[in-house]
Amino acid sequence: MGTDKGGHGKGTKLVSLIEKATNTTAPEVDPRLLKAIKTVVRYSDSELRFANQTLMDLMKCDHSQVRYLALLIIDELFMRSKLFRTIVVENLDQLLSLSVGFRRNSPLPDPPAVASVLRSKAIEFLEKWNVTFGVHYRQLRLGYDYLKNTLRLQFPNIQANVERVQQERRERERRSKEILLSKYESLKDNSSSIKGGILSTMDEIDECLEILHAKQDSVSDYILDSEELGDFRSLELQQLRLEALKEGEKVYENNDNMVVFDTLRELYKLLITKYLVSIQEWIAVLVRVELVDNSFKDSILKEFIDIRNRMKSVKNKCEEAGCSLLNSSKHEEEDFWEEGNVVSMEMSSSAPDNKNKHLDVASTSHKMNNDNLGLHNKESNGSHTRLLPQGHEVESNLQRSELIAEAPVVRWSSYLDNWGSNRVFMANQRGLELDSHWGRVDDDAVIPADKIAKLNVHAMPYEEKEIEIQPCLAPLRKGGLCQRRDLKVCPFHGPIIPRDDEGWPLNQSSSEDMNMDLRTDLVEQLAKQAVKNVRERDQEVVKKREIDKRTFKRAKLAKIREHNEAVLRDAALASTSGSAILGEDGEVEDKLSARDKKQSLASMLRKKVTPKDRIAQKLLSSWARVTVDRQHMSCEDAKYREAFPNQW
Amino acid sequence: MHVWKEIRDREGGKVHSHCFAKRIKSNRISQLELSNQKDIVSPHKGAINSLQIDSTEGRYLLSAASDASVAVFDLQRPAVYQPISKHSSLFLLDKHHRHAHKFSVSSAIWYPIDTGLFVTASYDHHINVWDTNTIQVVVNFKMPGKVHRAAMSNLSTSHMLIAAATEDVQVRLCDIASGAFAHTLLDGVMTVEWSNSSEWVLVTGGCDGAIRFWDIRRAGCFLVLDQSRTQLGRRPPVLKGSMMTKSKALSLQDSSTKSRAAQKKHANGSGSKQLPIGRVPSKGPMKQRLHPGMLSTQDRATAHYGAVTGLKVTEDGMYLLSAGSDSRLRLWDVQSGCDTLVNFETVRLQINKPLQFATTQDATLVFVPCMRSVKAFDMWSGNMKSILRGHYECVNSCWFNQQDQELYTGGNDRQILVWAPARSIADEMDGPAEDQDNWSS
Repeated sequence: MGTDKGGHGKGTKLVSLIEKATNTTAPEVDPRLLKAIKTVVRYSDSELRFANQTLMDLMKCDHSQVRYLALLIIDELFMRSKLFRTIVVENLDQLLSLSVGFRRNSPLPDPPAVASVLRSKAIEFLEKWNVTFGVHYRQLRLGYDYLKNTLRLQFPNIQANVERVQQERRERERRSKEILLSKYESLKDNSSSIKGGILSTMDEIDECLEILHAKQDSVSDYILDSEELGDFRSLELQQLRLEALKEGEKVYENNDNMVVFDTLRELYKLLITKYLVSIQEWIAVLVRVELVDNSFKDSILKEFIDIRNRMKSVKNKCEEAGCSLLNSSKHEEEDFWEEGNVVSMEMSSSAPDNKNKHLDVASTSHKMNNDNLGLHNKESNGSHTRLLPQGHEVESNLQRSELIAEAPVVRWSSYLDNWGSNRVFMANQRGLELDSHWGRVDDDAVIPADKIAKLNVHAMPYEEKEIEIQPCLAPLRKGGLCQRRDLKVCPFHGPIIPRDDEGWPLNQSSSEDMNMDLRTDLVEQLAKQAVKNVRERDQEVVKKREIDKRTFKRAKLAKIREHNEAVLRDAALASTSGSAILGEDGEVEDKLSARDKKQSLASMLRKKVTPKDRIAQKLLSSWARVTVDRQHMSCEDAKYREAFPNQW
Repeated sequence: MHVWKEIRDREGGKVHSHCFAKRIKSNRISQLELSNQKDIVSPHKGAINSLQIDSTEGRYLLSAASDASVAVFDLQRPAVYQPISKHSSLFLLDKHHRHAHKFSVSSAIWYPIDTGLFVTASYDHHINVWDTNTIQVVVNFKMPGKVHRAAMSNLSTSHMLIAAATEDVQVRLCDIASGAFAHTLLDGVMTVEWSNSSEWVLVTGGCDGAIRFWDIRRAGCFLVLDQSRTQLGRRPPVLKGSMMTKSKALSLQDSSTKSRAAQKKHANGSGSKQLPIGRVPSKGPMKQRLHPGMLSTQDRATAHYGAVTGLKVTEDGMYLLSAGSDSRLRLWDVQSGCDTLVNFETVRLQINKPLQFATTQDATLVFVPCMRSVKAFDMWSGNMKSILRGHYECVNSCWFNQQDQELYTGGNDRQILVWAPARSIADEMDGPAEDQDNWSS
């Protein structure tokens, strides 16, 4: 007790830390606070005792959330400090009854959702503690035993589960080993037959190839004889020649050797689809099998690897000779196909530009628009230049281009005919004869230039400059990037930020200011900051005013509501209508809105008002019951009167 | 350091050996805590109702549980040594045994002379006497009702009587030697205890709150404790005391002076007076509650409000501790029959079951089961010395092993816990892997 009192002075910080850590609705303790608690507690025993006392007090709190968070802290400290363990263990039954709630007279408090989490967590912790420290603390063993064997609570059994998984894995390994071993045994028995089959096939292939090459040799020999090596001086030419020779050496299928080719293909197919696969499998088996006596295994493995290598070389030879698995399977049909393919490929390659253009047009309507706009610009530019006064043409090309760059782009229309002129129009001299006009016609009537200008004012609808909206480009779960185009915020992936090809954000800071500031100098930055500050202050003032206004309004509303309620109550007293309930409803709504506003520990305790509750409230209110009763009575009365009209 | 100094004093003859041993013992007792080194693996599936260690060797623990099972443990040779010595039962008598009880076994006691016999009493109206070696029933007594407790006298040289407190109004004395009911006393009894000073004196605690002293050689009780008669301190003032005893035991003066608690020596002398075996009670059980030799006013006296749930006579037989369903603990001076007005700070006692509490040899501490904990009280001041928490449900029984200074407790949570003096650091070194702080960073 004395130490506790000593801790009181020092422990205020600790208490505030712990209370802060447990006074949230979050499902976890804030790791920073937890760390702070640990560091505070670590350096003195009295602090630790004090922490234990505080936590136990919090465990008695009538709120599951607080208990839950306190339990999390207790677990943290328990796993770390021996002293804390010894203190906690002394009161373990209390801690368990507060966290597991196994005593019938002290169940866990509201809210029930958190309470169930608390219970499962407490049981999990107890198991963990028992596994880790059970040897040192009889109390832990007792508590675990009691909950498990007497109360028969379900423990998560983490350790047992891990063991079971391991056991299963071992079993599986053992089984696979057995299978391997049996395979190995079978291999041992018929390895010679396997080898024989493969070797005979390969021999046949070799023979086939030999026949083919023998036929070809005469031709190639002829070529070699007829030409002299000396002529080809340059390396490139030599290379070319060698290639040509090689090409010449290749055996092509013709009527003479068709039979040979067919058999070769057959054999090749057999080799690839059957033998190569099987030998790979056997090698895998040999590599994985574990034996006491490895001599036979090694020898046969060596043989198999040799065979495999030979097979590979044979396969290469076959492929050189011009048979591949695909070709051999459906040779003739594919010929057609290939031709067709080739043609189409050529087609496409011959007119690549067209296609590209088409594709572009099809893919992005924006671009097309842009193009159109561009064209339009060009046109208008052209008209511009045509209309420009003569004097400008004299000036240098450079200046002209500058001016063009500066000049506004205007849509073409008839007003451009008298651009910049300040001619006066004769009103009545437009080649129109005015017969039988009674009045005097003034032939010299003139429309002044400024009037003309006014009449000719050019109107042009404002066209928003179309900017290309960047796609969101956030990586999607199914692969690929999000192609949504939104201005600022993608509804699925949040604000749109520059991303790289894989969809990762380019700069993590993601503040636009930073981006811009990279280029601008310090002064500009400062100026911007100043402007920003001023604006912020203004905004704050505005906000404050708004808030004031709102509170004022709310007060007013409250007053009005009060008045309304009073009126309604009076009305209810005067006549038993549903108005009283209306008033009640208003209150309920008030409460509801208040609850929505703030999420706190107290709000977790409040029960959710379900539609059922509301209906029940309406139906079971005394007023409703009384009316129903009365209604019922009068109904019965009426029935009775009707049934026995002579009795009253 | 303290211990070494004492040992040196003992060697030098400064301290008497008896005194030295007593000091060491009391020191050890004050350090009792839940033992981590000694586990008793309880095979019982119900609440532990009674515990007893044999008085000859101090080695075998007899436990009785409400699942009708009885088990015996060897406390000195564990079944498993590492990492914690675990004592599992030598044998378990449960319902599979041919002669086993059908219902809850309320008490199991060793035969005081040796461990060859033990006695079990059960709610199935039977008292069985077992041969420990063959695990067979030797004698079987059928009682008229549930047996709450059975007791045998530690001192008896001339009789082998089991006193059985039954639900019925009678206390039965069962004679092992003849297998018959030796005697029947009239009372509705919750608990029963033999005096530690006279082999003839039996103390019973009734459901009506009366504690009666019986001389088994006579019909009727000779003393009923009255909670309104009190004295301050251990002994009444000499004058008053002698007067009171005179007035109280006036009628008994002639015949039962030997039954006086303090006069131990007379026990042998009265051996010549043989027990009237097989004597049939002259009156019907419910006919008359008035005991011969008692004034009716005295006969109505109560020691507790409600039932008396526990009785314990100190080792020297001079004092009696009683617990009642009024959650009170009272210390009685046996000689004067007065409540000594010691205020034990109990909060609550279990009321529906007989309690069994334990005292140390020199009667300085008494261990009382108080709901889920066991409290150690100083016998003479009533101050709580320590509180032993560990059980998850109510504790029913305690037994203190005088030899090893270890306390054994059994409760409704089916556990038998061992409370041993705190071990020194040197002992802990050879334990399992050390328990240390484990701070990150």
